[in-house]
Amino acid sequence: MAARLTKTERAYARKVKDAVQLLFFKHHRLPGVRGWELRKELGSDWRNVLDVLDKQLKPLDLQVTRAFDEPDVVEPTSAQLQDARYYVTLRGTVDQKVAKTIGWRIDDIAGLAVSVAYLISKQGKAPRADVERVLEEKLPGWRVKLNVDRYVQQGYLGADEQGVMYLDWRSRAEIDTKKLVDLVVGFGKKDREAQP
Amino acid sequence: MSSELESVISLCRMVQSGKIEPFDIDFDYVMGVIRKHYPGIKDVKDFCLDAEALKELSNVLERQNRWIEHKSSTLYKDPFMLSQSLMRMDIGAVADAFLKSWHPILEMEQISARTLAESLSYWGGLIPLDERWQEMDVAERETGTATMKEAHDMGLVLTEGFAQLLEGFWRELGERAGVGGAVDYWDWIGADAYRDTVYRAYITVFMVSHGYASVSHDRLTEETVIIHNPDPSLDPERPKVSLPMMVDYEEWRQWRRG
Repeated sequence: MAARLTKTERAYARKVKDAVQLLFFKHHRLPGVRGWELRKELGSDWRNVLDVLDKQLKPLDLQVTRAFDEPDVVEPTSAQLQDARYYVTLRGTVDQKVAKTIGWRIDDIAGLAVSVAYLISKQGKAPRADVERVLEEKLPGWRVKLNVDRYVQQGYLGADEQGVMYLDWRSRAEIDTKKLVDLVVGFGKKDREAQP
Repeated sequence: MSSELESVISLCRMVQSGKIEPFDIDFDYVMGVIRKHYPGIKDVKDFCLDAEALKELSNVLERQNRWIEHKSSTLYKDPFMLSQSLMRMDIGAVADAFLKSWHPILEMEQISARTLAESLSYWGGLIPLDERWQEMDVAERETGTATMKEAHDMGLVLTEGFAQLLEGFWRELGERAGVGGAVDYWDWIGADAYRDTVYRAYITVFMVSHGYASVSHDRLTEETVIIHNPDPSLDPERPKVSLPMMVDYEEWRQWRRG
């Protein structure tokens, strides 16, 4: 029994290593690996392997995340899980100082936050002109267009042929939208409540 | 009949593009319009229009359903409240809120066996530096003058303006492909001399970027055609298209051999 258990453990350890190679290194133009690719490489217990890897990544402040092609998936079907894209992301968050060192200006971060929050408030879709108008309240016009193009290029925002913007794969993978909305709506609440 | 149905179709489409809210559409009114026109259907065109209106209305219903689901979810916050909060916050506070909910993806670039093999192959074909950087055999010459005709003959000055040159090529394309017609890319740029072929490809790039022609590539047959544009847009505000084009020497030789 003990020998069989060790064999299983060894098999899992090997699969976890395979999963690391699949998830950490870039294989396609876009980062991440599809569920069906993981299943093909890791076998039918691929989801358990990911759970094990996720636990092992926890002390390093990393996690295995997935993003579905369709927004608002609550209880995914097996097909949706296989179509989903899996990533390794930071489990915690970064502060402004670190964000600057990885190439983000504070204006760029704020612009992305406003765009994402605005699109969420519009059920995930809004004309580009409306998104730009909101950003222009606090950012210069020339910068707004550049920033929106950059968010699209990086995969945070998408735009269809009619110029309608939506949250793209990277927002779904990286941003905890509920937390963002809660933080924005709750901003200054304590101060306001404390006022007589 | 068609104009009323078309206007309700475009109204429904405004919901899809996010220009108006799903519940801004009065379902009973739109259904009433569709019902009113249904008995008057005479041909397939009317029937298609009717079907289209029904389809767009069903899309609106789907969006209304999603709107209710969204509103009942924990994610829903009043859009007005959300936008008011955003306006109240300074840029630093918005950035902080974002950073607290942002978990960036970890990405690692790496060398693969394939890129290594490609690099080795490139290295193998690379000509040694002493051959590549051979000193040019130059002789010192006295400066002199040339007439405009001599400059033309040497190919240093164009005999006509660039726009006229493009128009000349555009007319030639119209004659060879027919107005609005298409001609095979190599048949169009190909000339007896390689130098002339490169020149024609160079001008073709400008024809495409200035709207005198367009390019179509069939991925299955790998055929590329140049399409004559009967009505070239010369609007300076129009965005220019950048088009990389290959003029491979071997391909040119094969084309010449037919």
